[in-house]
Amino acid sequence: MDIRLIQGVAYLGLIIFLTFVLYGYIMHLYRSEKKGKRNYEKYGKMALDDELTSPPVEPLEEHTKESR
Amino acid sequence: MQNPAIEYDYTVAKWFSYLAILFGIIGMGIGVWIAFELAFPELNYVAGQYTLFSRLRPIHTNTVAFGFTLSGIFATWYYVGQRVLKVSMAESKFLMAVGKLHFWLYFIGALLAVGSLLLRYTTSKEYAQFEWPFDIVVVLIWVLWGISIFGLIGIRREKTLYISMWYYIATFLGVAMLYLFNNMEVPTYLITGMGDPFHSVSMYAGTNDAMVQWWYGHNAVAFVFTVPIIAMIYYYLPKESGQPVYSYKLSLLSFWGLMFVYLWAGGHHLIYSTVPDWMQTMGSVFSVILILPSWGSALNMLLTMKGEWGQLKENPLIKFMVLASTFYMLSTLEGPIQSIKSVNALAHFTDWIPGHVHDGTLGWVGFMIIAAIMHMAPRFYKREIYSKKLLEMQFWLQTTGIVLYFSSMWIAGITQGMMWRAVDQYGNLAYSFIDTVTVLHPYYTLRAIGGLFYFTGLFMWAYNFYKTMTASKAIEKEPQFASPMAA
Amino acid sequence: MFSWLEKNPFFFAVGVFVVIAFAGLIEIVPDFAQQSRPVVGAKPYSLLELAGRQVYIKESCNACHSQLIRPFKSETDRYGMYSLNGEYAYDRPFLWGSKRTGPDLHRVGNYRTSDWHANHMWEPTSVVPGSIMPAYKHIFKNVADLETAYAEALTVKKVFNVPYDKDMNGDGKIDVPLGSFKQAKQRALQYALKVAQETKRKDLVDMVKQGKVPEIVALIAYLNRLK
Repeated sequence: MDIRLIQGVAYLGLIIFLTFVLYGYIMHLYRSEKKGKRNYEKYGKMALDDELTSPPVEPLEEHTKESR
Repeated sequence: MQNPAIEYDYTVAKWFSYLAILFGIIGMGIGVWIAFELAFPELNYVAGQYTLFSRLRPIHTNTVAFGFTLSGIFATWYYVGQRVLKVSMAESKFLMAVGKLHFWLYFIGALLAVGSLLLRYTTSKEYAQFEWPFDIVVVLIWVLWGISIFGLIGIRREKTLYISMWYYIATFLGVAMLYLFNNMEVPTYLITGMGDPFHSVSMYAGTNDAMVQWWYGHNAVAFVFTVPIIAMIYYYLPKESGQPVYSYKLSLLSFWGLMFVYLWAGGHHLIYSTVPDWMQTMGSVFSVILILPSWGSALNMLLTMKGEWGQLKENPLIKFMVLASTFYMLSTLEGPIQSIKSVNALAHFTDWIPGHVHDGTLGWVGFMIIAAIMHMAPRFYKREIYSKKLLEMQFWLQTTGIVLYFSSMWIAGITQGMMWRAVDQYGNLAYSFIDTVTVLHPYYTLRAIGGLFYFTGLFMWAYNFYKTMTASKAIEKEPQFASPMAA
Repeated sequence: MFSWLEKNPFFFAVGVFVVIAFAGLIEIVPDFAQQSRPVVGAKPYSLLELAGRQVYIKESCNACHSQLIRPFKSETDRYGMYSLNGEYAYDRPFLWGSKRTGPDLHRVGNYRTSDWHANHMWEPTSVVPGSIMPAYKHIFKNVADLETAYAEALTVKKVFNVPYDKDMNGDGKIDVPLGSFKQAKQRALQYALKVAQETKRKDLVDMVKQGKVPEIVALIAYLNRLK
């Protein structure tokens, strides 16, 4: 098969696939926040409250409890 | 869990900050010098062959990109990395040693590499001029940085990686990939056993070499001048202003957008060249798409200041950072415009291109690194910033410098492009090439003066930093948000 | 899936790498073989020309001069026929440049002569009044490194099958001979003598007669070859 044809088809497929991924990601971001599963905006605090003594936004150990 | 005796360890961050200042002054000093050479060619002969424009230009670009900017990136990494992961380098002797080794190898490697360029060892590929032995040193430096990044991540207390971390990781990976593939070369001595041991020949020939080179060249801009600088601003702007990032979700989204789109745009350096047409078009199209993720990040930064614009008046560091994001918006709009085929036909090979590069590097990269290092200074030394007034003066002087720089280069570039294609009433070329050179003299002079303004600002920065380190009023504890400064 | 990526630095890194890597693959790989095919009549550089090319690179001439003529009338009128992909097949590295502070040089061999180049490189304003190009007097004294040039030629012959010592067009003659270093050097010296005489500079001729090729002579041989 002609390489140009493969490229063309692959390119089209890729665009469609990526569009799905992009919208999927946006939906994921907003939906998981709506459902209360996670709050992305709280991660912004990581820069503001970054003393060594301040509690982590999400400590490593408690991870399993939190994300379920 | 917390041990109050441990503090963040800024040793390596401090060292790299000194280097950023040093390389900034050297690299931009050379830049100003060669800018004056274009206006006054006699300056070429000041130190014989060693001050010829062609010899110094690669040294300027390499010192500024891989000396000043990389030092700034490493300095901020060794600072921000600890803080957003909430772990101190003092907690791991190993990482501390890696950090210090990273610094020394980088410093010595950089000096040797610059020396090699001065002695004419170059592969000629832009921003990848170093010959193969130095490439190996670069790889080692990079591996050390990687160990430092992933090592620190390995012992972190904060589960989730802050957005700045994403950008630092991407910088690490991106540069590693690009640098390796673009510097694929065969050392001739190893094959034949004769000739200069430093000499090598590229693995790719002609058009292929050009494609690999500009895939690299464009994305070196992405992963040295854009991605890590975004990492910085996502930390320093919120921290200095006390405002969280406007939309964390937008920052994630534009991260993936930028990662995906940026790599395709390299083709815009090769429009109307002999690379395949589809690739030129692709480079052009993706460059325009690139506006979206770029402006996504930039607007996110500006909106972080929402409701707090008063700080812009009071805090020169906020001024630097807000203007940096504004220049980022300007150059990410200008770049795509230049990538449109018909515009590119005019702009390519002219001074508009260096103009574009410099409003990005001086305005965005330079200002962000200056602000970041001045933000860190009071934390490094537990002292106030020595002089707010000096910082203000530096800001205005350098801003004027940038405006002079890019406006003169816009005019120069478009004039040049138009004169190259101008024809008389019979369709013959209207100007000989030399006409298009001599006409640029006033613009070259203006540009050099603009550069001189910016360069002077660097000395004000260095002085302010030095005074902060040695003579400023001590503060009791690390400031939480805005950096304290003496009037 | 997404939140998992965000919390696993290793897989996150892999994800980023995949996203940034495949643009290069798709853009560069498909046309790689076709791009490296030489145009009919293209020949590898002779030893002297290659040494000159190395001087061109060492002095970073490409910082100000391009070697790429774009397909516009204004460019073909000024510089000659637009550049073709296959003409660059033996260029390692490519020398297109990115800025024309000075004019394009891809076909400079068509319209400039050896003595013009020599005068120009000695004192640019003597032939182009108003020129901002600096003089390159030191390359009139430096001796070209033929050994490294030979090492490069031999390397590309061995590693990339560049057709040295081959009959390329089937006329029974070797097109670009290389041979041993001694043979190649002998040939380069003869060629250099011719170029040196064309420059009408006695110092250059004398140097070549002593068996030393000045860098400028090699550089001019290379520039004359650009057609």
